Amino acid sequence: MESFVSILIALLSAPLFPGIILKVKALFAGKKGPPLLIKYYTLMKLFKKGSVYSTTTSFVFKLGPIVSLAGGIMILLFFPLGAIAPVLSFHGDVLVLFYVLATGRFFTIAAALDTGSPFQGMGAAREAFFGTLAEASIFAVLILFYRMTHSLSFGEYFTGANPISLTGPAGALLLLVIVALFIVLLTENSRVPVDDPATHLELTMIHEVMVLDHSGPDLALIELGSFYKLFFYSAFLAMIVCPLSPSGGLLNLPVFYGIVVLVYMTIGLVESIMARFKMNLVPKFVLTSSILVVFAAILTMGFIK
Amino acid sequence: MNFFLLSLAIIVVGGTIPLLTFRHFVLTKCIYVSVTAVGCISGLSALLSAASSPESLAWSWAWQHVFTLSFSFDSLSLFFLLPVFLICPLAAMYSFFYFERAENSLKTAVSYFFTNILIVSMALVTAASNMLAFALVWELMSISSYFLVMYDYEKVETRTAGYLYFLFAQGGALLIFAAFGVIFSHNGSFDFSRVVGIPDSAKLVVFFLAFLGFGSKAGVFPLHIWLPHAHPAAPSHISAIMSGVMIKMGIYGILRMYFMLGATDIRLGQTVLILGMISGLLGVLYALGKRNIKRMLAYSSVENIGIILMGAGFGMIGIAKGNSLMAGFGFAGCLLHVLNHSIFKSLLFLGAGAVIRKTGISRVDLLGGLMKRMPITGKTFLAGSLSISGLPPFSGFVSEFLIYFAAFQGLKYNHINLLLSIIAIISLAAIGGLATFCFTKVVGIVFLGEPRTEKVRLATDGGWTLTVPLSLLAIACLGIGIFPAPFITLAFSGLADVSFVSQVDPQLVQTIGTNLGFASRLFLIIIFAVILLRKALYRRKENTAGPTWGCGFTRPTTRIQYTGASFSRSVIDFFRPFALSRETEVRLKKIFPERTRYASWVEDVAEVGMRQGLALPLLSLLGKFRWIQHGNVQLYIGYIIVAILILLLILFI
Repeated sequence: MESFVSILIALLSAPLFPGIILKVKALFAGKKGPPLLIKYYTLMKLFKKGSVYSTTTSFVFKLGPIVSLAGGIMILLFFPLGAIAPVLSFHGDVLVLFYVLATGRFFTIAAALDTGSPFQGMGAAREAFFGTLAEASIFAVLILFYRMTHSLSFGEYFTGANPISLTGPAGALLLLVIVALFIVLLTENSRVPVDDPATHLELTMIHEVMVLDHSGPDLALIELGSFYKLFFYSAFLAMIVCPLSPSGGLLNLPVFYGIVVLVYMTIGLVESIMARFKMNLVPKFVLTSSILVVFAAILTMGFIK
Repeated sequence: MNFFLLSLAIIVVGGTIPLLTFRHFVLTKCIYVSVTAVGCISGLSALLSAASSPESLAWSWAWQHVFTLSFSFDSLSLFFLLPVFLICPLAAMYSFFYFERAENSLKTAVSYFFTNILIVSMALVTAASNMLAFALVWELMSISSYFLVMYDYEKVETRTAGYLYFLFAQGGALLIFAAFGVIFSHNGSFDFSRVVGIPDSAKLVVFFLAFLGFGSKAGVFPLHIWLPHAHPAAPSHISAIMSGVMIKMGIYGILRMYFMLGATDIRLGQTVLILGMISGLLGVLYALGKRNIKRMLAYSSVENIGIILMGAGFGMIGIAKGNSLMAGFGFAGCLLHVLNHSIFKSLLFLGAGAVIRKTGISRVDLLGGLMKRMPITGKTFLAGSLSISGLPPFSGFVSEFLIYFAAFQGLKYNHINLLLSIIAIISLAAIGGLATFCFTKVVGIVFLGEPRTEKVRLATDGGWTLTVPLSLLAIACLGIGIFPAPFITLAFSGLADVSFVSQVDPQLVQTIGTNLGFASRLFLIIIFAVILLRKALYRRKENTAGPTWGCGFTRPTTRIQYTGASFSRSVIDFFRPFALSRETEVRLKKIFPERTRYASWVEDVAEVGMRQGLALPLLSLLGKFRWIQHGNVQLYIGYIIVAILILLLILFI
């Protein structure tokens, strides 16, 4: 029951948090900024509209938003938000879930190529490239977590017998993981300094240019999917930063969401004080994260006998 | 008479009839396809009935009164027979569509004959249980497939490709026979069951010799360079059989040799694992760089052989370490990927063949927009691409999951095995990512967007002899993905005769299969739910159609679409030392420059290395001995006599 309440809260509240990023950025720039609920308004507006479809596109174009949103929902179902047992869990679920996200990426890329636009192709190539590098980092994190907990499931990581915790015997290694995961979060969700969601020139975009041709409810589904994905990565980070006890039940949620808000504020902070990297620096930036985690995994030889 | 032999006889007869009836083209095709299908299906049923008691199928006969050829089955050979009997009839059916020109009827009949010889010899390779029988059918397999590659012998490229294939096939066979020779010198027996008795030091030599030999058949880097030449040259259904089934015989050989030797040295597993990683990563990288669709699929076979070897490597490390979970899941992942790859790779080759047959173009960058024109080919190709990229809910993911499972077991150790496992898991993830990159490219450039050339605009799907094999294979890809439990059990049953691996708790295997299947189905259910939500959102709404947003550019042509070359450029440059990306220099001279040309291509380091490091020096060295070969027959006979005399002297002194 608790699990269902928690997932429901997450699915409904996920569009709230990107508003926080916008607010932080606006405050930094000395502006008032859009209202916090801005993303809900956008979604409502898009839901009401119809769509324009390019005559070039086929059914693959319409599958893109659907599969990426489905992936976002699926991964949240398996994640112990606030150390409340996830709705579903089994040994090995992390592998399935990251591959499910990859299926979403496959269809987003295919949908972009379906339009036949050179700009969308360019964005698709970049997304595929950086996504591959980020996937390598994610698997490095999974390797480290397996060394620490001997498990392959989100449920086990945070609510299992020996949960991952900063205060545990190998907790210091998690500092490296936090930095690495934050880099992955920025990459996978197309944030500055990897990608700039607010830029106005198609040539410099990555993710935004891939969805240029989607409109109306299709675009809303894409947005929703990206909110869930960002929420998942933030929740993952939050659970590592502040491990909660599974016995807390729903009372954990305020603390958990507090940390999640902090993660989003950090993203806003990074976006305010950094410019985006030149495109050829991005691979090095992303690779940094996997090197950090592999280093941590090798260090476990000293910690774990 | 044994039922299995009977089905092989039917297949041979099915291959021989076309040689007699080739003047009636359509009739020949009908007879061939139906007889071959009957033969394969009866072979399959013999397989099923033998699953409980494989000993019942064993037979042997004395040959030339000196040699005994003996054949028998165990769980491993039965598993490798599955793709032979599943893929070949579909490929035969597809050939009905593919061979459409009656004036080539004799050529077609010859090709049919060798196809069936290939099928029979592959079936016998899995059954051979002594060295002589194995050597005989192995050679039969290599030679019949050589003639199949040479179908378009009028073309120079085909002859070059055939020659290259012949070299690698015979070179590999040489190494395998050398391995057999070493075994024979130790125990004086041709029988496979007595191999286990040879000393440990010899086992290492035998394994590596055989690994090189079988590896050249399987397409392990750097012995893979015949694959990307032979596949584009051969007819598409032959590529499907060769890539889907025949190169797996190399894997079968490696596994058979390993289990036969009973060697537990951990270095074997480590070597296999490392070579698997290299094949996997570089295979997919070159697949990304290549422009010819069949060449690209050939490199992707190298990648998948890499994944299969990684599974086998983990299995061997597991056996060496006494970890039955790691051994079981490694080998099971390896076997299941063999089956999966045979399904989706033949699907992709058949689909690519349909595109080439209908448009006459094999360059990815000249195609486009075929999803609307060839919908069934397009959709099945999409299913195959998702499967080969290892994405749920399709089949490729299931076998990769098993290999991951074994790899994570390897993290329990320290030092070299930990490091290897870490690198292997990250390579497996990177291979998956790059495969997604590669196949979004193929699907996106070939099937989506707008046609880039005029010929593509007129293409249509073929008849049912094309669409039925494609659809069956695509359904199999999805089916294994959604209901993986029985197939995982099947892969484990292929290992039933490996005593150590059979210790894996069947309950655990069952649970993993159920969980994976549940996750795949859940994903599909969520997708359908979102589709329903989307339908609801679009109720009573007007959608408009228009051109793609050109970012302000008002006169787009289909030629400004992104090409496969530009799509993969950034990754190729990232892996620069391994993928040699070359381009012609474009320099504008004069004040009014003339028309310039530009070309870019990606070179395979193994191919360049082998050409410059081995082939060219060898040629120049051997050129110095040309004078021996002068065309005077009498002197040649003199050479022979001198050689015999010297040999006799060596033997008797």
